Formats: sequence, C-alpha cells, structure tokens
Amino acid sequence: MRKLSLFISILIAFSLAVLVTAQEPQYAGLDKDLSGITIRMATIGGGQYEAMYDSIPVFEEATGAKVEIVALLDGFAIDQKLKVDFATNAVDYDVAWDHTSFVAQYTDFLLPLNDYFSEAELSAFSPAILDAATIDGNLYLIPRHADVSALHYRTDLYENADIAAAYQAETGAALEVPTTLSELDRQMRFFVTNGYSKQGYGMAGKEEALTGRFYELLFASGGALFDENYEPSFNNEVGVQVAELLRSWYEDGIIAADTTSLLWDGDAAAFCNGDVAAKLEWYGWYSYFQGAENCPAVAGKFGLARGFSGFDNSGARPTGWAGAHAFSIPAASQNPEAAAELIKFLTSERVAYEEAQLGFLPVRDDVWDRIITDAESSGVALDKVRLETARIQISEDFKTPPLIAEWIPFSNIFYPQLQAIILGDKTAQQGLDDAAAETKTLMAEAGYY
Amino acid sequence: MTKTALTTKHKSSAWARGGRWFPWLLILPSILIILVIIGFPLIYSLYVSFTPYELLKPKSLSFEWSTAFNNYIKLWNDATFWRAFWNTILFLAFTVNVEYILALALSQLLARVSVGQGIMRTILMVPMMFAPILVGFQFRWFFNTNLGLVNNGLIALGLITESSRINWLVDVPLGMISIMLATIWMNIPVMTIILLAGTLSLPADVYEAAEVDGASGWQKFRNITFPLLAPFTYIALAIRSLDVARAFDIVRIMTDGGPAHRTELIWTYVTRLAMEDTKFGLGSAMGWITVIISLAFTVYLFSQLVRSRVFQ
Repeated sequence: MRKLSLFISILIAFSLAVLVTAQEPQYAGLDKDLSGITIRMATIGGGQYEAMYDSIPVFEEATGAKVEIVALLDGFAIDQKLKVDFATNAVDYDVAWDHTSFVAQYTDFLLPLNDYFSEAELSAFSPAILDAATIDGNLYLIPRHADVSALHYRTDLYENADIAAAYQAETGAALEVPTTLSELDRQMRFFVTNGYSKQGYGMAGKEEALTGRFYELLFASGGALFDENYEPSFNNEVGVQVAELLRSWYEDGIIAADTTSLLWDGDAAAFCNGDVAAKLEWYGWYSYFQGAENCPAVAGKFGLARGFSGFDNSGARPTGWAGAHAFSIPAASQNPEAAAELIKFLTSERVAYEEAQLGFLPVRDDVWDRIITDAESSGVALDKVRLETARIQISEDFKTPPLIAEWIPFSNIFYPQLQAIILGDKTAQQGLDDAAAETKTLMAEAGYY
Repeated sequence: MTKTALTTKHKSSAWARGGRWFPWLLILPSILIILVIIGFPLIYSLYVSFTPYELLKPKSLSFEWSTAFNNYIKLWNDATFWRAFWNTILFLAFTVNVEYILALALSQLLARVSVGQGIMRTILMVPMMFAPILVGFQFRWFFNTNLGLVNNGLIALGLITESSRINWLVDVPLGMISIMLATIWMNIPVMTIILLAGTLSLPADVYEAAEVDGASGWQKFRNITFPLLAPFTYIALAIRSLDVARAFDIVRIMTDGGPAHRTELIWTYVTRLAMEDTKFGLGSAMGWITVIISLAFTVYLFSQLVRSRVFQ
C-alpha cells in the first residue's frame, strides 16, 4: 500500500512538472555546442528594442558561444550602416537587423535562410509575415516583431449620444466606427463641419509615411502601385480617386493645414492632443496614447478597430499597411550555422513572449495566445481588444509595400508629386502621371523592363 | 676624372647651392597630403559622376564612354533639379543681400558704441555659436502652424484668428522666407564682424577732412565709408555666398526641401538622390555642377575685390 502511494505521488509530481514545463514559454536554439565561436551582431538599439538582448547570456551559457554586439543603432542609422557595409564589403558580423520594407534592396548580400530553419520551426510564425520575407522563393528574414496600422478613433465622439443623434439627423445613418472609406469620409466631414473636432482625419504627409498612407488607401480600394510587369498603375482611375480624396480633405480642412510637414511624431501628436477624430496609426503608439501624463485628451478615450475598406471598387479590402522587424544573416557571415542558432534563440517563444510583454506585437501564434490570455486580467478592456484586433490584422490584412529594392527611390519620386496634388499645385491626374513617368524611368534603369 | 664623377660633382654642387628643387622637396609632404586628402576625393567624385554608380550595385561603378554623360543629361532634363537650382539662386541672392544690408547697419552702429562695446559684440556673436541643426529645430518650432510662437503671437496680438493660422512652412513663398530668416538670423554675425573690422580700420583723417568740408553723416557714409569698405564687402559676400550656396542643415530640419519641392535646394536634392536613393553617380554629377558654379561666382567676386583695391 505504501509503495502504491509513493508511486502515485511520484506520478503526480512528474505530471505536474511536465504540465508546468509545458506552460512555460520555451527557449530555442540552445541544443548545439558552439564553444569557441564568436557570433557578431549588428542590430537595432534604443528604448525598448534593447531589452531583448538582456537574454543573450542564457544563449551564451547554454551553447558556449560568445555573442558580440558590434553595432547598436537606431533604425535609420543601422539601415545606413548596412548599406555602406554591404557596398564596401565591410561586413564583419553574422547576424544583422533587417526589416520587411528594406530587405529587397539587400538580397544580393544576404543568405537565403530556407536551409537553416526547418518547416516545423517556421510554422510557429505568421505565414503572411514569412511571405513578406520571401523573395523569389528565398526566405531572407526571420521576423522578430511586427506592426500594422489600425483604425484609432475617439470614443468621446463615437460614443456620445448627442453627437450620434445629430449625425443621424444630418446623414440618416447611425454613427458607428467606419468600415468603409466613404463612411469615414462622411463622418470626418460631419465632425469638422459641426465643430466636434478640430480636424477629422489625421495622417503623416511626407516621405515614405505619405507614400505608405496613399498605398494603403489605394490597395484598400482595389488598386495597386504596380502591375504584374512592374509598370506603374497608380495613375489609373482608382489612384486618381484616392488622390482626389486627399486633395479634397486638405482643401476642406478635414486633414491638418500642415499635413505635408508632418511625419510620424507630428501626426501622432495631433491625435494625442485630441485634434483628430480618427486615423490609421501603428499599434506601437498604444502605450503613449494611453498615458494620461502624455495624452490627457485621449488617454482612455479612444478605441481601436480593424482598418476600413477603401472605395467600393472590385478588389476592395481592409487597410493594413504592415511591416516587421527581423533578423537576417549576411552572405559574408563567418558562422552562418551559429548565427542561425542565435536567431532561433532570439525569436524563440520565450524571448518573443518577454518582448511582447513590453508592448511589441508578436509574430508567433503561441505568443499571441499567451499575451491575449494575460490581457484578460488587465483592468483596461482595450488592452485585450487591441491584441485581438491586431492578431486578426496580422493574419488577414498584413500587407507590406512592394518587395522591390527601389521602394525608397520610388517613394522619393512619388511623395512630392502627391504633396503637389494635395496642395493644389497639380491636378490628381497630372501629378500621378508625372510620378508614373518618373517611376517608369526608375524601373527601366533598374532593369525591370 | 671620369664623366660619371663629373656629373655627380655637378649635381651635388647644384644641390649644395640650394638648387631650385630643394624648396619643392621641403613642401613635398604638404603637397602629398593635400593631394591625398583633397585631390583624390575630388577626382574620384568627378569619375563617379561619369558612371551610373549606385551604392548597393558595386558593378555599376564602371566607366563607359557610351553612358559617361548620362547623369549630366539626366539632370539637364530633370525639372526638379532646375527647380532646386533656381530656388538656390533665389535663396542665395535674398539671404546674402539681406544679411549684408543688416550687417552693414549693425556694424556702423557697433562702431559708434562707446560704452559696453565688448558686451555688445559678444551678444552679437551668440547666434553663430549654435549648431545649424539646433537653429533649424528652433525655427521649425517658431513657424509651426499650430504650436508655433509666431502664429500664437500673431493670434495674441489679434492680427490673425484661430481659423486663419498661417502655414509658414508650407505656403508659397512663406516656406522659402522662413528658411531664409533662420539662415539670416544665424549668420548675420559673421558678416557684421567682417564689416565692423573694416569700418574700424578706415583712416580717420579722411573723415576729419570731410567734417572740415561740412559733410553730413549720410554724405560721409555714402562717399567715404561705403566705397572704402568695398574690399571687406567683397570678402564678406564671397564667404557668405559660398556658405549659403551649400545650405543644407537648417533647410533639412525645417522643410527638408518640401512640400512638393517648394523649398528644394541643390544640397537637399543631392542628399535625397545620393544618400537616400543611393544614386552616388547622379549625386556626384549634381555636386560637381554646383562646385563649378560656385567657383565661377567666387572668381567673379574676387575679381571685383581686386578691382576695388586698384581703385583705392
């Protein structure tokens, strides 16, 4: 009898141990003996980006490898460093930070990762993001965390009974979070015309930020920047429709008078100040907007929703301009196998979960489950809504800019022309045609046709 | 004595006499350093300007006669380049002339200050102690449509209303005027100091003679100070013109050449092409066009400087 009790106790203890272990997020990439190998890494730094690197000693202890971070720079600076190092053959690192928006220009200098990661390992990641990291069948990135733009709207406007009644009386429609661009347009004009909000819609109006915002409205309206032969197609009727909308928003005061001077921070500040009724914005700003000390005008007074569909054209779909921070292995790496192990570790469930707890959107399904469960215990209902909405967007709406090396040169051609349209210097058709002509030259010189 | 020995003796005697090669030998290290540090990058960038070089396409750094002038032809046909070019000319002409007029007035006032001259001069130097990037940020904030000091000041004075805020950095020609004002504010001390130094070095006897003849203050300035300051004026204009022609920092921060190329200058456009689009060949070609124009302008100003000195 005593033996049976002992056996049952051991069995229970073992089961509990297995259960606890199974519930704990796990590291990966710790199985190989990498003693004597130094893995050098050039990566993004600043703010919360660096918290991930605190886990590296765990990897070093388990594998015997030494990890040396040779560059820790902000996004702009690390991108410049990669460009110069690749161009001058000065790469002396094995792991490099990368991004889905930039990777296309680096493919000649990176190792395809298909042979370093098994199907089972890759199955943990969102397929949409892996697609965005795959060019000509070669996987160049392993994603670290992602972001996608979601509709941010002020609940003090949308949940105000008086405003809703006035809207109903004026338009005959219920005031609900918009799911289409025409609904959004109608609501923004209503808020501004009736003085409920200083501005209706908010958007950044220069550089890649403006190109991306146009792109987002374009693909949501069934349009595309390029056709299958990489000929510019943004100057067709869908593109003109979107450009004319932006022009009319500017002319009618729906967007800020200084929109064309605004980049991400200025655009976010306008929402933070309570000047804007609704906008597409990155989830990454969430904790900033929710901070009462930063944004008393909107903290606790805004909601999040999946992006709206564009104009009612064939192929219309929800917005969802997205991108992901990632790791890659330069072709010049001296230790690609060891580099892959470090990437496996840094993108493992455990490290990804720890990073997701800081507010970054994860790229792994197992981490999504964990943080959504965690959010259930949060006192702020929006915390869970945020994650659930983001998860849907990342799995269904995730759309990166075209994976072409010419994305930034194209953007530098395109955004000044779009600014000229917005400011009324050119008509929508004229501005887009001018941009298309320049783009065609760019793409021809790059060898696309 | 053999022929070889004679030759050797001849050479060593020439050397001993401090032959004409000896000074060259002494300055050879300096020449080499200048060639390596200044000459090589210049020649290399000239070479690059005749290639289609793009940073991430190393093979594009190759010269071919058939495509050698493509960058220059492309710029000739590039409407944005010409817009940047004429904007730069306008920016330069307005900024340097306004700076000159203000600096001339300030230098004349400072020359007459009898008490606290040192403090006044020190205060005058303050703007040029700031980094151009800081000045850019400061003026960007001044001219911000919603939060800026200028618009809020004008509203407080009742000159504009909340709904008629001015888009200083967006509207034509306010965008250009805004960056010009920032540039003038920062650089006026340089020109003032040069003109003040010139004013203080002018001979007193000329003024005494004019006073004996009963000349008014304006007549003394018009007929004595202004012409005698000509060499200093040309030096100041040359220095500032070259400086303004390569204006970048303040513009980059305040408007970055936008919106819609409205404030695009040569160097903001070069930066976009070369650094962001990584088109080094095209960027180098544009840089060389600017350098040649600047050189021509400098030669003209210095010829005027020489003429003014001959006149004196």
